[in-house]
Amino acid sequence: DPYARLLLEALKQSGCTVFNDRHFSCENCDGCVSGGFDAATSQIVLCQNNIRQQSHMNRVVTHELIHAFDHCRAHVDWFKNVKHLACSEIRAANLSGDCTLMNEIARFKFGLKGHHQTCVRDRAIRSILAVRKVSKETAEKAVNEVFDACFNDLEPFGRIPHSKADAKRAYRDFQNRDRYNANL
Amino acid sequence: QPPRSCEDYWGEWKHCRGLRHAFHHYYAHGELPDCGRWREDYEACRAWERDRAAAAQVPASLLACPRLCRPGLLGQKPCSRRVWKLRKSPPPDWYLPLD
Repeated sequence: DPYARLLLEALKQSGCTVFNDRHFSCENCDGCVSGGFDAATSQIVLCQNNIRQQSHMNRVVTHELIHAFDHCRAHVDWFKNVKHLACSEIRAANLSGDCTLMNEIARFKFGLKGHHQTCVRDRAIRSILAVRKVSKETAEKAVNEVFDACFNDLEPFGRIPHSKADAKRAYRDFQNRDRYNANL
Repeated sequence: QPPRSCEDYWGEWKHCRGLRHAFHHYYAHGELPDCGRWREDYEACRAWERDRAAAAQVPASLLACPRLCRPGLLGQKPCSRRVWKLRKSPPPDWYLPLD
């Protein structure tokens, strides 16, 4: 999957090579959670009882790899700073394909003009509430405060990938980044 | 040499003008995309190629293109640095074995 391929390459370039048996774990999870990133162990958890389709698996892996990438490149205070968590959730919802039009329609959420941002906002709030004991108001406030900065941080894709073709373009750009940097 | 091959600029321009991309851009940003810059970059790239024998410099417009300066893509500081501090080295426990 080109999304995952790019993220794995970006992680490797950042000094965090991913090894399946060390950094991934398949477990049974409560509720409808699909996966998570455990910053305490630097491990991605995939909820094997809640993922039933390959496309869903691709999306969950991409989403969690974005969290892993943020953990690798920045001092993200996952447990005590809700704004840090909000930022990574905004990025993950924005760049993983969580908020494609088809996925939203499947959730019976309909909208077109700029609806992607509405979806990113809502899913980020939802994710925060799933992993932290904070009020909805606190989660909303955190998301609103960091939304502009974090929605526009498109690293390592450089664009919002709306399809595998977009992800492949982004991967090509990422591989050519040395050529870009040589000109700076 | 320019940051991208000239064919890449052309490809990006064609992609930008396509219906699918226009739809995705409207869905994500609430407006249609502005693709003119990719075409300008393509023309500048071709002009540089023609003049390369004369040891021409890469046009400043290709280096200054906002797309190339996308935060993070070129090692520039990402927008999210306003939220969290970037690391100088990876987390020390990334490779530590699990108990």
